[in-house]
Amino acid sequence: MKVIVDIVGDLTFYLSLIYPLLYLKGFVANNKAFKIFTIYLLSIGVIMLFARLVIKVWEFESNLFLSHFYYVIQFVLLSLFYFQLLRSKWIYYIGGLVLLFLSYQYINDIQLYYRYNAIGMFLTHITLVVYALIYLYQSLDGKKEFTIVNTGIFIYLLSSSLIFASGNLVFDIDIPKTFTALLVDINNFLFLAFQILIIIEWYLNYRKRKVIPK
Amino acid sequence: MEAIVGQDNQILIIIIVAIGLLLFMSFAIVLFFYFSRRRVIKAELENANLEIDHQKELLQSTIITQEEERKRIAQDLHDAISSKLNVVSLNANILSETDITSAEANKIGESIHKVTSMVLENSRRIAHDLLPPTLEKFGLQAALEELCEELIDTRKFKLTYEIDYPLEFLKCNEELHIFRIIQELMNNTIKHSEANELILSVITEENLLSLQYQDNGKGFQMDAMRAAKGLGMSGIEHRAIILEADLTIDSSPGNGILIKLKTTPKHAN
Repeated sequence: MKVIVDIVGDLTFYLSLIYPLLYLKGFVANNKAFKIFTIYLLSIGVIMLFARLVIKVWEFESNLFLSHFYYVIQFVLLSLFYFQLLRSKWIYYIGGLVLLFLSYQYINDIQLYYRYNAIGMFLTHITLVVYALIYLYQSLDGKKEFTIVNTGIFIYLLSSSLIFASGNLVFDIDIPKTFTALLVDINNFLFLAFQILIIIEWYLNYRKRKVIPK
Repeated sequence: MEAIVGQDNQILIIIIVAIGLLLFMSFAIVLFFYFSRRRVIKAELENANLEIDHQKELLQSTIITQEEERKRIAQDLHDAISSKLNVVSLNANILSETDITSAEANKIGESIHKVTSMVLENSRRIAHDLLPPTLEKFGLQAALEELCEELIDTRKFKLTYEIDYPLEFLKCNEELHIFRIIQELMNNTIKHSEANELILSVITEENLLSLQYQDNGKGFQMDAMRAAKGLGMSGIEHRAIILEADLTIDSSPGNGILIKLKTTPKHAN
């Protein structure tokens, strides 16, 4: 079991570096939504890379501070991505409000930087899940682009929101490390499923060069 | 896992269960949308097929109507012109013979004159039936009034009509459709209905033309009418579709027929 879990962990790491390259191949030929999504994948890949380097090369105690970059960048880029798909000004307004709230949180409590921001993470995840749900509804009538990726975002963000929200449990000395490790492993499995969907989307719809009309 | 359960920490178990629940729910929602989408697509496909079938039916009955019209014109030409011209040709042939008296020649000439004026009259009538010149020259109001007067002249029907149609309210081709619809309705009444009273009204309001036609004939089953494709009624329905008009046909055996049609001028929009 341990071996499989380790393999999945490594696989998610390497995959998050590989598929941005697949998407980069079609960067010029495709539309804005595709470009934003590619930038999102690249950013996540870079953060994953740093998370490893911080621990294994630079030997920091924790890579927790990267989580703040992770969820804020994810929120901003996926909001822009959904703006391209849904074309609703509301995404800007809601995005602005959420970012305002996050800024307030960090100004109010500088120490938050050394913990998981459970509320912030939950808020950004749920907002994105709502966008995904709306897009899922819109794709009811006819063929739309990025439906597979949208499904992946929906399932992954919804089911992992609780994992991220309970991230601060690592600081609780009463809770054994095996448990928090279990949460990380579950997240890895979910993330792998999401990555596979991202690759399937690329394989089915963007492998061959084609221009999607804007 | 054993260590966790051993610690008897309920919160941890709840978290795991909740994650599982979220995963399950997200899957359920995605599957729900997936199957709904398949259903929606299927329904759309069925609708498209129905539309195609309808178009086919329309086309077929248009062709049947066209063929019947051709047959009628051929019959008219044959009965009213060809056979009469035959008589003229025969008479002219007799005239060319040398051994006829001048009295006989006069008589034959008179007969030729009589037949040719009849042919002339007939050809004028046929042309008039095909496209009444009044419609083109004086508009729909005059053409409809002429149609009504012709019907009254037959003395078989008591016709009450009210026509109030401003010049160029509809486009030329739309006027023709309205005219044909009324002509067809009258033809049906004359041929099939055994009616003796008719009411026709064509009135226009600001941006709406309403046509109402009623007779007191024997009426018909609505289902029977739908089954009889290629007859006058389907022609009326097709013209109503072209006009994008709102058409209601109301009839039952013994109760005559009541037809209402409402349409708006297209160029005004």
